[in-house]
Amino acid sequence: MRIKLKFDENEKKFVDRVSELSGENIYSCYQCGRCSAGCPFAFEMDILPNQLIRLVQMGLKEELLGSKALFLCASCFTCQARCPKGINIASIAEAARDLIEPKGKDYFGPEEVPPELADELPQQALVSVFRKFSK
Amino acid sequence: MPDKKRKLHYYPGCTLKEKTTHLDVSTYAAMEILGYELIEPKNWTCCGAEFPLNEEKIIGLTAPIRILRQVKIEGGDKVFTVCSFCFNVLKRANEAIMSDSLKHKRINAFLKDDISIDRDSGEKTTDFKQYNGDVNVLHLLEFIRDWVGYEKIRSLIKRDLSGIKVVPYYGCRLLRPKGKMAIDEPEDPSIFEEFLENIGCEVIDFPFKQECCGSYLSLSMPDAASEASYNILRSAKLSGADMLALSCPLCYYNLDTRQDRIKENFPDSPEIPVLFFTQLLAWALGVDEEVLGLDQHYCNPRTALGIDESEVKK
Repeated sequence: MRIKLKFDENEKKFVDRVSELSGENIYSCYQCGRCSAGCPFAFEMDILPNQLIRLVQMGLKEELLGSKALFLCASCFTCQARCPKGINIASIAEAARDLIEPKGKDYFGPEEVPPELADELPQQALVSVFRKFSK
Repeated sequence: MPDKKRKLHYYPGCTLKEKTTHLDVSTYAAMEILGYELIEPKNWTCCGAEFPLNEEKIIGLTAPIRILRQVKIEGGDKVFTVCSFCFNVLKRANEAIMSDSLKHKRINAFLKDDISIDRDSGEKTTDFKQYNGDVNVLHLLEFIRDWVGYEKIRSLIKRDLSGIKVVPYYGCRLLRPKGKMAIDEPEDPSIFEEFLENIGCEVIDFPFKQECCGSYLSLSMPDAASEASYNILRSAKLSGADMLALSCPLCYYNLDTRQDRIKENFPDSPEIPVLFFTQLLAWALGVDEEVLGLDQHYCNPRTALGIDESEVKK
């Protein structure tokens, strides 16, 4: 993927805001890739967790919003446990999701729950998926 | 003379009262034998299931703190859970309120306006008590290791589980985030293995014990969750285990209840019984089979537990 580097005020604001919301130092990532090596859902992702951080570092909101990876995080914190800098990518992904989807649109809302599963679904699964992917 | 039962606060969480009642019931049965009377915090609610990772979503911390404050009001200094999600949320919310003075101030400000309505009497309570993070949040595995002691468990064992090969499955919420959960070393844990050895099982190691089963992605990305769960089940089977033991109701849903869905994507997916660690504990302590809720499992665990099917009562 060829990315033209430009860093205007708008993008800097985005990076600062992700840092604030996630409580993580975005710039401390030096792209070692241990997060991607350990991520249990990397096999399904279009971009890897370390690439996701790189997009945040460069303030590329559109690319982030278009990535499937942002919605494949199960917040299992394997990346955080293995990161040599202790960065919590789950927090960064959550902050990015909250920032770039402000229009009240759910990524996964109650209407998407298959009705035939209603009897077997544990409450815990419903509550957690809505907490992550609904407004 | 039998020992007087010690009172202990227990937070079951929402899923245990509805979908995985066998986890709740086996916990009560085992803890009674160990000498504890469990008290559920009055008017408890859902903890929120997920600890909010966004620093500004402070409202998501009020439910867990309200539960912990209730334990404090009832005179408790500790509370335990068996659900890994509840443990994670309660423990991290407690830590957040202690380490962040702004969060402490804001959550207590929310709770100041709380009107608690008693479910039984309808009575309203508005008296405000500040909560400062002084209730110790424990997982039952941790409580058994640090408070009950394995020696006590061994002295009460009624059934020999020595022929049963079990893989312990930690999943994610019990051990991580690193530095926050502090129950064990996240990359090289042993608490589950020690527990299983002390109740008499043969413990088998397997490489997927800390891998994520897919969590809530089984709803939003079911195929991805199926593949993750398949890898765990397959690894457990290849390791030579008779069953997999875990503590989280959502892992149980992904690894047991959804085994038929996993088979649709991966026809070679093995059928392997998945049990809650409290069921194994209760079984070892001599609790009757009916109490364990073995008929709630997708994959029948009776043979793996050494129960003769022909003798099972109708």
